[in-house]
Amino acid sequence: MIRLAKLCALALAAIVFVATGATDTGRLPADQLAKAVRSDSISIPTPGELFAALGKSEKTNWSGQYRGPMPVTYRNRAQIALNLGGLIADGFIAVQAKDSQQVKNIGSDIIKLAKALGVSEHLLSRGKSINEFADNNEWDTLQEELEATQNEVKSSMQSHADQDLVILVTLGGWIRGTQVVTAAIMQNYDERSAKVLRQPALVRFMQSKINEVSPELRQEPLVKDVSEQLNGIEKAVSFPAGKTLAVDDVRKVNEAVTKVMTEIESKELPK
Amino acid sequence: MKRWLPIFLSILVLAASVAVRAETDAEVRARKDALDVAGAFSNDGFKIRDGHWCGVLKPHEHALVAVNLYAGNQYWFSTASAEPAKIAVSVYDESGKQVTTESYNNGEKAAAGFSPANSGQYLVSVDLVEGDGGSFCLVYSYK
Repeated sequence: MIRLAKLCALALAAIVFVATGATDTGRLPADQLAKAVRSDSISIPTPGELFAALGKSEKTNWSGQYRGPMPVTYRNRAQIALNLGGLIADGFIAVQAKDSQQVKNIGSDIIKLAKALGVSEHLLSRGKSINEFADNNEWDTLQEELEATQNEVKSSMQSHADQDLVILVTLGGWIRGTQVVTAAIMQNYDERSAKVLRQPALVRFMQSKINEVSPELRQEPLVKDVSEQLNGIEKAVSFPAGKTLAVDDVRKVNEAVTKVMTEIESKELPK
Repeated sequence: MKRWLPIFLSILVLAASVAVRAETDAEVRARKDALDVAGAFSNDGFKIRDGHWCGVLKPHEHALVAVNLYAGNQYWFSTASAEPAKIAVSVYDESGKQVTTESYNNGEKAAAGFSPANSGQYLVSVDLVEGDGGSFCLVYSYK
C-alpha cells in the first residue's frame, strides 16, 4: 500500500512538472541567437500589442491622442505606404478609446489610401466588417480585424510585386504608435510605463529591412530621411534591460518620432 | 533559341517565387492545430496575433524565431506539428538565457507562457523531443 502511494505521488509530481513547465535553465550560444529567423509577420509587434502594454500600467486618455484628418491624396507610393501604416495605428487608438465613429472614419481612410496603392480589392469587405463591428461595439473583434486588414494590405502588396513597400507600412505604424505612447507617458509619467519603450532589436530589424529595399526606393528623399532619423531613434530606445527612461528621455524620443511623423504627413516631400 | 531563354527563365523565377511563398498542406494543418491550442487561452482574455511562423523541424535541431515583446503584457506561444511527434516550446531572453515559462505539452501540440519583465527581443525555440520531424507552425497570443 505504501509502495502504491509512493508511485502515485511520483506520478502526480511528474504531471505537475509537465503542467507547470518546470524547465532546466539553459543558454543559447551566440551563433544560434544570430541565426534566429526574423520575419515581419511575427517578429514585429502590432500597435495593438504596444497599446495593450501601456494600458496596463496607466489610465490613458486615448481620445486625447487623436490627430486631425490626414490628406488621402498623396502621390508618392512610399509616402502612401508610410501613412497607411500610421493610419492603421490610428485605428488601434480608436479601438482603445472605444470610439465607434472614429474607427469607421479611419477604416474608410484606410480603404482610400489602399486604393491609391492599388491594393484595395480584398479590403472592401474588411471595411464593411469594421463598420459592423464598430456599430456593435465589438472591440476585441475590431482589434483582430484591424490586424487582419494590415496583413491583407501587406500580402496584397507582395502579390503586386510591391514587397518593398511592406516594411514602410510596418514602419509607419511603429512610428505613429511610438509617438502616441511617448505622448501618453509624458502626460502621466511612471517608470513602469516607460519600460515599453525599450526596443533596440526591433528598430535595428526595421532598419535592416529598409536596407534591403531596391536602391531606387532607398534613395527617395523621404525614405532616405526617415531611415537616417531611425538611427538616432534606435539609440534613444536602446537602454539596458532592467532600466527605464526618465521623463526627459521619453520627451526626446517623442520629439524624434514626431519630427519623422510630420515629414511623413507633409505634402511637401524633402528634397 | 535566344528569344525563348528569357521567357523560360522568367517562368522559372515566377514558379520558384510562388513555391517559396506558398504554404504546404502540412503547414496549414499545423497552423490550424496551433490556433486550436491558442484558442484555449482566448477564454482568459488572450488575443491571438494575426501572424504565424511555419517551418520544418528536424531531429536534433530546434527552430528559433525572434519576437519583440513588451513588459506589462502576458504572452502564450502555441505550436503544433503536422506529423506525429513530441514537441516543446521554450523562450530565451536577448542574451540567450532561458526564461522560466508555464508550459503545456501534449504530444504534437505545445505552448509556453510568460510575462516579460523587460521589453525587448526574445527568442522562441520549437524543439523536437521525439519523432522524425516534419512541418510545424507557431502562433502567439497576448493580453
